[in-house]
Amino acid sequence: MSNSRTVVQTKSLRVGYNKKSVVEVVDIEALRGEIVCLLGPNGAGKSTILRTLSSMLSPVEGTVYLDGENITSVPKGKLAKFMSVVLTDRLNPGLMTAFEIAAMGRHPYTGFFGKLKNEDKEIVLESLASVKALNLADRYFNELSDGEKQKVKIARALAQEPELIVLDEPTSHLDISHRIEVVEILSKLCRDKGITVIMALHDIDLALKGCQTVLLIKNGKIVAHGAPEKVIHQGVIQDLYDISEARYDDLLGSMEFGGSRTSDMFIVSGAGSGIPVFRTLRKTGLGMDCGILHQSDIDTHVAMSLCNKLVVESDFQRISDAKFKEATEIMANHSIVVDTGFPIGETNEKNTQLLLMALDAGKDVYTFRNKESQNLYQCLDKQPIYCSDASELAEMIRDGTGQKEPRIPTLVTAAS
Amino acid sequence: MQGEVETKRAARRNAILIMLLISMVLMFLLSIALGSVNIKLADVISILLGKDSASDAHQSIISKIRLPRAIASMAGGVCLALSGLLLQIFFSNPIVEPYVLGISSGATMFVSIVFLGGYTFGFSATNPMFMFIGALVGSMIVMLAVVLAARKVQNIVTLLVIGMMTGYLCSSIRSIMSSFASLESLGSLTLWTMGSFAGFTWQKVKILAIITSIFAVLAFLLSKPLNAMLLGEGYAQSMGVGIRRFRIAVIIIASVLTAVLTAFAGPISFVGLATPHMLRMGLKTADNRVLVPACVLGGALTTNLCDLLARTLLAPVELPIGAITSLFGAPLVIYMLLRRDSGL
Repeated sequence: MSNSRTVVQTKSLRVGYNKKSVVEVVDIEALRGEIVCLLGPNGAGKSTILRTLSSMLSPVEGTVYLDGENITSVPKGKLAKFMSVVLTDRLNPGLMTAFEIAAMGRHPYTGFFGKLKNEDKEIVLESLASVKALNLADRYFNELSDGEKQKVKIARALAQEPELIVLDEPTSHLDISHRIEVVEILSKLCRDKGITVIMALHDIDLALKGCQTVLLIKNGKIVAHGAPEKVIHQGVIQDLYDISEARYDDLLGSMEFGGSRTSDMFIVSGAGSGIPVFRTLRKTGLGMDCGILHQSDIDTHVAMSLCNKLVVESDFQRISDAKFKEATEIMANHSIVVDTGFPIGETNEKNTQLLLMALDAGKDVYTFRNKESQNLYQCLDKQPIYCSDASELAEMIRDGTGQKEPRIPTLVTAAS
Repeated sequence: MQGEVETKRAARRNAILIMLLISMVLMFLLSIALGSVNIKLADVISILLGKDSASDAHQSIISKIRLPRAIASMAGGVCLALSGLLLQIFFSNPIVEPYVLGISSGATMFVSIVFLGGYTFGFSATNPMFMFIGALVGSMIVMLAVVLAARKVQNIVTLLVIGMMTGYLCSSIRSIMSSFASLESLGSLTLWTMGSFAGFTWQKVKILAIITSIFAVLAFLLSKPLNAMLLGEGYAQSMGVGIRRFRIAVIIIASVLTAVLTAFAGPISFVGLATPHMLRMGLKTADNRVLVPACVLGGALTTNLCDLLARTLLAPVELPIGAITSLFGAPLVIYMLLRRDSGL
């Protein structure tokens, strides 16, 4: 068996129900030991594709080849030894133990009455062990948690000793640790046993990080197919799911809600110090402009979703005069400026100038810096307002933003 | 660990099965001994073993009345329990059985047609084979209708209502036909439509026993795919079960078992539902290799018991057996519907 053997291949396949195709031209190729992931919104046809690949549904057109053989000409028994499935159907098998469920996987191998030989029992126990569910063997399936049930279902599929496992949304209903565990288990099976996995997933993040090939499916078409690194660019996921209220950052693999349209303050941040501030302020309904960030600063990724105006400098460059000017112009419109307590170095030195200018111009400057150890503002008469975390800041601004008069920060400065 | 618990469970299962077998045999003897004339158990045994007995009257009671009735009620119980079990797996649902789904009613309607038609057209409608064939046609028709309905509606309560409505439909057609029937034919028909094991001839007993035995064996042979079906059709198919053939086999076996019982004893409710359910709980297993034989023992035991109660409880008045089975069965259905998510 060569390592690059093609396990599944489809030729000009169209899948659907009752001769009406749901997804056009499905070209899938899965190599041995590879994880192929189907991503797409609900109703895109992922399950239809999986059902066709696992021979529960006849293709509307075209052919599925398993190991080079047309799936329709493979006898049922042989097919069952080649491929097993994990479906979304809720299992309600009555009084069956986890062991008995997993042992069902031996169905294609056992005799007329399905009696398990010792060898079969060993394989079942081994399957349970490889999903770390050996301790569940004697418990009744219906008493297990969703995560445990899913593991037992995968163990059942494994006990079938397949070369290919087809899974429909194996991580839905699971908490984050079980989701990770399931994908881990599947990756391990692929690596160690050379099993090929084809599955539909809703966890974009897990899909991109856990699989070798992704298929993006939308509106009955496969819109992209290939390695996640090649297929996923900024905006692809957002388009795939038609996300308009939020922004999905592909590099970080995280989602940010859109920010408020109003601009209530100017934020000077950097090196991740801005992220909790942006998020907290957005939740309280406050909008913001931000600067001056470097292109690849982690703050930039989040600020792109949450801030209205954003001044960005190229990576590893000192802040240019042009950008500085742009930032001062934006800042001029604001009476509130926030210093997130970012680290100061050679390339972003000008940000400190911005803050001092703001303070000098009589703006309210809120800072997260420690008053004693980071004496950025000591050279000035006017003093900023010190606060300890983002929620305190939001509270202070909410109480203060109502006042039209320039606010004199008495509370904190009185002490100094 | 795995082996130990499993061995314990298996030992428990075997103990229960043996107890069922013993109870069934005792019940069989008891049902022959008890009645308007009580016969000593020792006499019953010696008569059954063909030894000369003291009383000719006893011998005649046993061979002409009680023995056929005991065998019929036991075989009938097997039919009910097994068809209940098969349908429960087929519909992936613990609350179905031939009576609840209206299949018995379909059989009853067709038997009535044969019965009344026979009087009208003068052929021998009481020929057991005719009655069986009529019942089979009826149960098959309703069965297929319910299967089609089940593909459209997934909801079990809807399915139950459809079954009940089918039952009403069949009985109203039957009533319309009865109004054309003669009084004399009506009397025996009415008793029969309420379900009763009274008046079984040996000819009927033979047909019932033979057909029941054959189809019980066939049901047992289906144990492995039946087990696979416990996970649902998708999984069963992916494990190599030929779904089409399997469905046809289950429909035929369940219909024949329902038909043969209904043809001779009328529709009997809830045994098909309660027996598999109680056995599953008692044996703590869903494995059909255990449940099929257990249903044979349990079905025979419960139905024979219910029949005994029906004829002795208010003796000399004989109750229809359906009255007894519904008395226990209907509350059980309500109970099961209420705690449906209990993982049955």
